[in-house]
Order: sequence, then C-alpha cells, then structure tokens
Amino acid sequence: MTTLRLKTWPAVPLEAEAITPDRFVGKTSAEIEALPVHHGNQEAALGDFFAVSGDGTPDIAIEGDLARVKLIGAGMTQGQITVHGDAGMHLGAAMSGGRIGVHGNAGDWAGAEMRGGQIYIRGNAGHGLGGAYRGSPQGMNRGLIVVAGSAGNEVGSAMRRGVIVVGGNTGDFTGAFMIAGSILVFGNLGERAGAGMKRGSIITYQTPKLLPTFRYACTYRPVFLRLLLRELRSLGQEIAEEWFERRYRRYCGDLTAFGKGEILAWEGP
Amino acid sequence: MQIDHVVCAFCGCVCDDLTVTLEDGRVTGVKQACALGRAWLLGHSAEADQPPALIDGQPASLEEAVEVAAQILSQARYPLIYGLSSTYCEAQRQAVALADLLGATIDCCTSVCHGPSGIAMQVVGEPTCTLGEVKNRADLLIYWGSNPAESHPLHFARYAVTPKGLFIPRGRKDRTVVLVDVRPTASARAADIFLQIKPGRDFECLWALRALIRGLDLEESAVADTGLTLAQLQDLAGRMKSCRFGVLFVGQGLTQSRGKQMNTAAAFMLVRDLYAHTKFAVIPMRGHGNVTGIDNVLSWQTGYPFGVNFSRGYPRFNPGEFTAVDVLGRGEADAALIVASDPVATLPRVAARRLAQIPTVALDTHGSETTKVARVVITTAPAGISAEGTIYRMDNVPLRLRKFLPSPYPSDEEVLGRIVERVTQLRARN
Ligand code: SF4
Repeated sequence: MTTLRLKTWPAVPLEAEAITPDRFVGKTSAEIEALPVHHGNQEAALGDFFAVSGDGTPDIAIEGDLARVKLIGAGMTQGQITVHGDAGMHLGAAMSGGRIGVHGNAGDWAGAEMRGGQIYIRGNAGHGLGGAYRGSPQGMNRGLIVVAGSAGNEVGSAMRRGVIVVGGNTGDFTGAFMIAGSILVFGNLGERAGAGMKRGSIITYQTPKLLPTFRYACTYRPVFLRLLLRELRSLGQEIAEEWFERRYRRYCGDLTAFGKGEILAWEGP
Repeated sequence: MQIDHVVCAFCGCVCDDLTVTLEDGRVTGVKQACALGRAWLLGHSAEADQPPALIDGQPASLEEAVEVAAQILSQARYPLIYGLSSTYCEAQRQAVALADLLGATIDCCTSVCHGPSGIAMQVVGEPTCTLGEVKNRADLLIYWGSNPAESHPLHFARYAVTPKGLFIPRGRKDRTVVLVDVRPTASARAADIFLQIKPGRDFECLWALRALIRGLDLEESAVADTGLTLAQLQDLAGRMKSCRFGVLFVGQGLTQSRGKQMNTAAAFMLVRDLYAHTKFAVIPMRGHGNVTGIDNVLSWQTGYPFGVNFSRGYPRFNPGEFTAVDVLGRGEADAALIVASDPVATLPRVAARRLAQIPTVALDTHGSETTKVARVVITTAPAGISAEGTIYRMDNVPLRLRKFLPSPYPSDEEVLGRIVERVTQLRARN
C-alpha cells in the first residue's frame, strides 16, 4: 500500500494525473514524490503537496481534501485507489482498468470517457458523470460507476457501453445522446432523460417525466434487468426484493434518433 | 464636420452607414443610428476627462500602471483574462497572445450568452448564412427567445423583416415572421405569429417540432407542458417545411434557459432536419458589438471559441472548467485582467465577489462596477470612435471600424501590447 497524505492545500487547481497505480508501481517513495504535477501554470512535484509513504505497490490510499486535485486515476489501467475525502474533477477519466473508491464527493466528469474498470463514490458526483467531453462523439465505453448519492446533469451522455448506477437523484439530460449501455437511477430521474438516445437502457423507480419523443411499448419483466440487479447486489449494492418481482413499463425512444433505446419505469409495489 | 459611413460597434448588428457630426472635437449629431447607437456615440470627446490610469484608486501614469499590471499577471499561477466583447480583433489578438504567454485562462462574454451555441456547433455543426442572404432570400423568419426590437433595434429594418430583397420583391409582404418567447415582448408587434411557450420548456418545444418534421404523430398530451397546443406546433412545423428559405434566430432566451447548450443543439438539429425539405439556416443573435470577433480570433488561434486554458502550455477547452463564471465562482483564479467588459455588474455574485478579492486589472473606456474594485485601471480609447480595427458582425462578416475622433488615451491594442512586452521581459529575466 502506498499512502499519500495532503500536506499543502493547493492554492489553485492541481492537475495530478501522475496519481495512478501505473505510475507508482515499482517506485520508492522518494521517486513517487518526484513525479510531476501541474499547479496552475507551474510545474511542481507530487512531494510538494503530498507526504508519500509506502512501497510502490499498485494500491494507493489518499487522505485529505482533494476537491482541487484534478485527474486522480485518469487513464489508469490497473490497481486500486482509495480517496478518503472529496476528489476533484476528471476522477478516473479515460481509465481502462482497476478500481477507484471515494469516501466523499467527486467533482465533474468523474469517469468521463472511461474504457473499463470500476468507480465507487460514496457521496455525490458532479455533472458529466461517465459522459463525453464537449465535441467528443462517445462517453463511457465499458466499466462500472456506482454513486451512492446524487449526480448532476448529463450523466452518461453519449455513453457507448457500461453501467452507471446512481443511488440518489440525477440532474437533467441523464443518458442524453446515449449510444448504448445501462443507467440505473434509484432516486428521481432528472428531466429530459434519454434525449437523442439511439440504444441503451435507462431504468427508473419513479414515474418518469418523458420527452414527447418517447412512446409506451409494453409492460413486462425484462430478463436482463434481473441478471443485472443480481450482479449489482453481489457487488454490495442494496437492491429491493420487489424490484425483481414487479413489472416495468417500457418506453422506447428517442424517436428523433434511432428509436431503439428504452426507458424502463418500475411499475411500483 | 460630417463623417459618413461610420460603423456602429455597439450591438451585433454592426450598422455601417451612420453619419456623425463633429463640433469642437465632440460628437454632436448622429444620423441613421438607433437610440442605443446614438446614445453610445453622442457626447464622446477628444478631451481627457479621466486620469490615464489608477493604481489602488490613486491616479497614475500609463507606464506605472502597465508595470504593476505586468507584475500582477506574471506572478499569478491561475490568471484569468476575461471580457473582450467590446473591443476590436487586433486587441483581442494581443489578449490571446498574453494568455498564451502567461499560461492563463482566457474567456469572453460568449460563455455567459452564446457559449451554448458554440458547444452545439461542435456537436451538430452550424447550418448558417449571412444577413445578406436573409435580406435577399428569407421568406420565413423565426425568432426564438430573442427581442431584437429592444436589443438589436435596426435588425428588422436593415436585414430581416422589412427590406426588399432580390427574391423578396415586396419586402415585408413576402415574409412571414414568427416570434417564440415566454412573454409578449416589444418584438411581438413586428411578428405575424406570436407563440408563448412556458418558461424553461424550449427544449420540449424544439424536440416536438423535430418529431413533427420527421413525420411522427404526437399526442396532445405529449406536448401539454410546452405551453403550446399540438395544432400550433403542427402549423409551425408545416410552415417550416414549406417555406422557400427559412431562418431561425436564436437568442439568449434559448441559450440561457434550462437546458442551455442542449437547447441550442436542439435548435441546430431542427435546422439540420429541415434540410430534407427546404433551405433553412440558424443565426445566433449575438449581443455586444464584437463578441463574434473574439470567438473568431480565439478559434483561429487556439481552435476553440471561448473558455480556453493555457496552463499546460497548449490550449485546452472545457466549458464548466475553464469558463470565467466557474473559475471565479470556485475561487480558483488568483489574478484577473478584464478588457472592455463589466463582469462585476453582469456575472453571478460569487464570481463578481472573487474579482474584488484578487488583484484585478481593468481596461475600459470609462468607469464601471469592475473598475471600482480593480487594483489597476487603465483608460483606453473607445473602439470605432478613437481606435480603428476589425469587428465581426453577428453573422461572422468582418467590417472595418474607423477612427474619426482623436483620443488622449491609448487603444486597447496598444496597452495590451505593452503588457505583453513587459511580461516577456519579466519572463526572460527569471
Ligand atoms: S442596431 Fe446596433 S449596430 Fe445598429 S445603430 Fe443600433 S446599436 Fe448600433
């Protein structure tokens, strides 16, 4: 285990994509402290901000208020990062493997354009969770994101594959322009969910407010959902028994796009 | 003395046929302008009525102010350059050079007015045209969330509604004008059809129109919360499909209401869909004089229209991360340079408060809320009156601003150039 403890709070945003298991593995703590970070417009060393202890194994624990520290675990391919505190923007963006756990809130674009791996956020997440950057054709493409709290706007925008689970509420445009994948929202699903979606599933447990371009198809018990819920339960997610038993209303859309997407709304107890 | 063909740099219309009368080095008469343009031009004089600069509220010389400004900016680790909407392109170019040199974030008023249009453009593309085409060809004009009668007073008469054009021989009689807004505004009088939608429901309306234009049947209940009836939407969709040349003008009512860039993306997509039926174009109703210019300058220099960050030495773009409201609101910027704009009066309170907390340098032609809180204030000559350069009209057509009145103050371009020079020297020394 390699432990990083924040000792100097960055006065301006700190871009620290160096904090990944890939960069730490096989290094001594002195070598890790020498890794480059960007403090605003100046280059600095990781050791200027963090006290590093440990052995350079691909298992990293970070302590402190990291709300200003961007890009933690961005692009990582392996190992594990645990953040004890809040994490800044772009947490795990474009990661392709490994696992990130946050015992706090995460900033905007957590898991944006990720290609694999898992992100668990105990608190809330910001906007663009698992989404696409502006002008980018695709968001998340494989992987799993679980947020216990709520998330902001454009959750999973243009996502291509993978699963996003939000325990609380989501903001507007959840799954907008989604290409495929699954988004489960256990709290309130925000307005305009699935706008422009081609394929993919958005699952809600409240009565959704739908765009005019979604149409009721049928009420049934989706088999894939039972398997997905069981899988999530095995990963430690709380899943109510009645979510397995009851039926779901299927609305297909977005009819201005491909129309092969769906919003599945649980029928209720 | 009378000066013809003066270009007005006040709003995005950039009227270029004004006549100005000068008496004793003072503008005493303005012809062909609207009330806004006249008020902007009248009373400007060649005399010095303010100190050339202020440092901590005390009068100072230009040299001293440039020195302090350069020191502040080169010591900052996350400086912000913001504004630039009411100055000309040559000055804007200096500001971009300075941002590059400092590793700063540079953003313009676009991010709080038509930034969403820029974002939509990157996603959908921008099917647009010039105002000349509107005048000569457009037989259907739709204004969405825009009130040109008050914001762009000569827009209707010069470019869009009343003029006779090549293929619009009878002028107003050959055009249909539709206004979509959340309340009847002064522009409603100029419209044949006024459609009042519910506040914050622009996206749903546009989305329903897209569905209708694609031939989908909608239920009355599906459009219930838009504020319009299905029949109204069907009528509008029908007009859009059957016109010869339609233009959708999108205003801040659309770009700044709930949904923002998604609303504009929806508008652009709607226009794109209409290409299956007829010729259609979309034009964002850009407000301030040369806000279109800074988008163009930033785009050709960095590839991005606003919200550009140079802290890693190369340009990066991410609205929400590198836009002024966010950089200030989160308390990240540690120094600011404001050019030809008054963010303290216009940005949200937290962002404005941050400008008062950090060392701020302001360049402006006159005092403003921002110059009141700035550590360094430099008075500059007004663009289009006492400084000449390039300005972009809201349809991206460049025009030349003229200088017809001498000024005791330097231009924005000159002051920014001197700051660039001084910062370069300071950098070389370190
Ligand atoms: S419409 Fe705009 S550009 Fe034309 S005179 Fe009025 S303020 Fe100036």
